[in-house]
Amino acid sequence: MAMTDDVIVCRCEEVTLGEVRRAIREGAIDVRGVKLRTRAGMGLCQGRTCETLVARILVSELGIPRERVLPDRVRPPVVSLTFGALAGEPK
Amino acid sequence: MNPKADVLVIGGGVIGSAVLYYLCKEGVRAALVERGDICSGTSGACDGNILSIDKEPGYDSQLGLLSQSLLRELVDELDYDVDYTQRGSVLVVEPDARQEAMARDWMQRQKEAGLPMRYIEGREVFDSEPLLARDVIGLVECASDSSLSPMALTFGLVEAAKRRGGAVYPRTEVQELLRDRAGSIRGARTATGEFTAPQVVLAAGVWTPHLAGTLGLDVPIKPRKGHILVGERTPDLGFRKLQEFGYLMAKFGQKGVRDVEPGMEENGVAMVYEPTGHGNFLIGSSRQFVGFDTQCDLGVLRLLARRALRFFPALRNVRVIHSYAGLRPWTPDHCPIVSAVASVPGLYIAAGHEGDGIGLAPITGRLVSEMVTGRDTIVSIDPLRLERFGEGVAKSVSR
Repeated sequence: MAMTDDVIVCRCEEVTLGEVRRAIREGAIDVRGVKLRTRAGMGLCQGRTCETLVARILVSELGIPRERVLPDRVRPPVVSLTFGALAGEPK
Repeated sequence: MNPKADVLVIGGGVIGSAVLYYLCKEGVRAALVERGDICSGTSGACDGNILSIDKEPGYDSQLGLLSQSLLRELVDELDYDVDYTQRGSVLVVEPDARQEAMARDWMQRQKEAGLPMRYIEGREVFDSEPLLARDVIGLVECASDSSLSPMALTFGLVEAAKRRGGAVYPRTEVQELLRDRAGSIRGARTATGEFTAPQVVLAAGVWTPHLAGTLGLDVPIKPRKGHILVGERTPDLGFRKLQEFGYLMAKFGQKGVRDVEPGMEENGVAMVYEPTGHGNFLIGSSRQFVGFDTQCDLGVLRLLARRALRFFPALRNVRVIHSYAGLRPWTPDHCPIVSAVASVPGLYIAAGHEGDGIGLAPITGRLVSEMVTGRDTIVSIDPLRLERFGEGVAKSVSR
């Protein structure tokens, strides 16, 4: 079944398939390129759900093998934590 | 491939994109080459502040003010949602007599330079920013300061330039700048072929010295690394952009003025808070000369969090969801280089904006388009000339 452009790809930032496709038309060729153009992956879950979906859309839109799609760079924190915990304050 | 253009712009960050846009707007046949994707370097790892308040009072801050007015026109022209808001910004003053005197002096000098400044004290401090630490004694406000998404601005400029005939070549790395026998610029050699153009604008940020070096030019730009924390969506934390007054000390490299814990001065840590257009917020800042490394340093991130808590105790239970680091193109006098290169006719440099690239992109694009097309510039460009760093700096080795 063909997906329509209004399907939500990134739930945190409510980014649709149509927006991801537009980012690819504007020149995005990897997960980070889509993220910087659409905010997909910038939300609370940091792409844990949508990164794979975005990679699959890149594969089908660009016709490139899955291995060629670069993942986004992993940055701290791996699990979100509070400013107090990062500052080293007692709980 | 052997594309020809009247002007070749090197660099797809916000500066190169703004230069391309303003050239295309004037009907110039321009092309842009970028090593990676558009916005994949410094412009994709920064914040979105459009500030005049933090620039040296006088020429520098007036340049900021002029760029802010150009940006308001740009926002309407681009037809791209860039999350623009103009809520002003404030410098937060700590209870320290010396700091207060310096803050009042800064405000006065900016006011004399023509900026819309105001000193806020007493109850009004907490009426406007209720979550600030209770010992804060004042706020220096600049009403013209604004904020946007730096990525959206960069992409918006590129898309608008494309609609006006601009040619954009991502994933096209320049290996060498090329000159003709007379010594004038004639283009650039890239991994995918030569680009021919009688005028070339080098807008490669921290990578500018490397490319200028292929012509024997010495451009004094160094990468200064800055970290940023991203906070989860938090309503009512702070309405506008805030930064501690000590940020100015960190920016201009003055140590020992603030009373801070070990590590803060060494890493140039100062609190900067910026609400984004999507309800998240950014916390900066740090300044380190550590080469081209963009790994996040957990020790520095911890200092950022500690400094943020000093001014926003309520952040203690708010989540950090992400962090990143980018390389700011630093120059010795904190002013960018927007200049023709006297020893290489046809070559221009637009780089070295450190943390001001987003804010100064509009004026930079405008000035370069005026220089390239041989018109009078909207403002004097003497303080931005490459040659200000000394006669020897701009001399190119002849071949």
